[in-house]
Amino acid sequence: MVKKVLIVDDDRDMLVSLKEGLLKYDETFSIVTAEDGLGAVEQLRDSSISLVVTDLKMPRMDGFSLLSHIMEYYPEIPVIIITGYSTMEMERLARNGGAIGYIAKPFMIDDLAKRIITYLRKEADGGTLHSVSSGIFLQLMEMEEKTCTVRLVEKSSGKHGILFFLDGQLLDARCNGLRGEAAAYEIFSWDDVSLNIQNSCVQKERRIHRDLQAILLDAMRLKDELKRMSGKPAPSKISPAPAEEKIEWTNPVERVKQVLKREVGEGYGIEDVYEDNSWEGFVKGVRRLGAAFNAGEFKVGYVDRGESSDFILIPGESVTIVAVTPKCARDRIMEALSD
Amino acid sequence: MKEIFSDISALEDVHGVVVTSLEGEILFTEPSLEIDRSLPLFIRGLGTIREADLIFEKSRVYVRRTDTGYLMILLGLFCSGAMLRLHVDMVLPLLKDRGKGKGLRSLFRRNK
Repeated sequence: MVKKVLIVDDDRDMLVSLKEGLLKYDETFSIVTAEDGLGAVEQLRDSSISLVVTDLKMPRMDGFSLLSHIMEYYPEIPVIIITGYSTMEMERLARNGGAIGYIAKPFMIDDLAKRIITYLRKEADGGTLHSVSSGIFLQLMEMEEKTCTVRLVEKSSGKHGILFFLDGQLLDARCNGLRGEAAAYEIFSWDDVSLNIQNSCVQKERRIHRDLQAILLDAMRLKDELKRMSGKPAPSKISPAPAEEKIEWTNPVERVKQVLKREVGEGYGIEDVYEDNSWEGFVKGVRRLGAAFNAGEFKVGYVDRGESSDFILIPGESVTIVAVTPKCARDRIMEALSD
Repeated sequence: MKEIFSDISALEDVHGVVVTSLEGEILFTEPSLEIDRSLPLFIRGLGTIREADLIFEKSRVYVRRTDTGYLMILLGLFCSGAMLRLHVDMVLPLLKDRGKGKGLRSLFRRNK
């Protein structure tokens, strides 16, 4: 399987020269590119990326925000930082943020290629198998209590999926924009797959709470049902994604909850949403400050008081508070709430 | 003092930097800004707040408590939050070092 490496840099000349310089490694990995973090997020969502190389200073969404997004949603994807603005502190922050490599510009393209290949090899350090049934193989993972990350490609459709095992327990699955059990159903319905086994599992959060056998049986049952539906159009996915929910503008707390659900999703460090008018005095002060700077209407604020939770304030007739963990995806949440 | 904030000022969409005492007294601004009494009032109302990021319709204000007061950065809506916070993290120890032994206020140009 030729792996995809995503290179993210707002410098187009840099992107072109990297793409051309790495062309000679195209039997090992191919290159896809993005010009900023948001473009990279789209690529990560739509393609199966094996490794990311990113610059730090970029418009719209910088390298640190992208690194944080990858650690949250794709923790198995290694990230190498390349930067022309290197300091010890920046390197420390990048490594603490989860980057596995840090390269100051200028650098030799072949040195970058060597690092990429070293990390890509780890993707299959437990072996590669072709033309197997995903279900049968994965039962072996459970029986042998394996801790591993399994990347699968369905031969007929070219769809990619990934499964995370910890001591034989299926923790999570991801494919086709699906996550958790829904993704597992989809993957387990594939008959003919190629797969790579990586002998480690960086995913820690458990999103699948049923055992593998039960999910496998349900996947088979659903697949059989689809086969029996002769003459009827088959749904494109065994477990279709839920339809987009319409926002009902009820009260401010509900509205904020629904915006967060729709725009941000779960697992971003959001703890609670509630009304708290004890913040009114602070909000008044902020509004006065905004007027002094001709900044316009106060939309949303983030406050850290050194407590176990931080607070996002949304002013209105009453003050709506979103309590968050200090390590929440704050820029993403703020952006969603300020629109 | 200006050189301490040069990296922050050079970030895209950063409009200004203000340093105040804990009581809201303006100690430094870059560039020179006309600031009315709403700022000292706001600073005095911050209480235990260590960091605040305030988004308005047209711009944004980032506030960070320092050992001796507050650092306030005026931004446009397109400034990268993560990059700004990184630079502020790097500046805070410098502010602390500059303040040691001499009294921070003596290092800042009074703006009034």
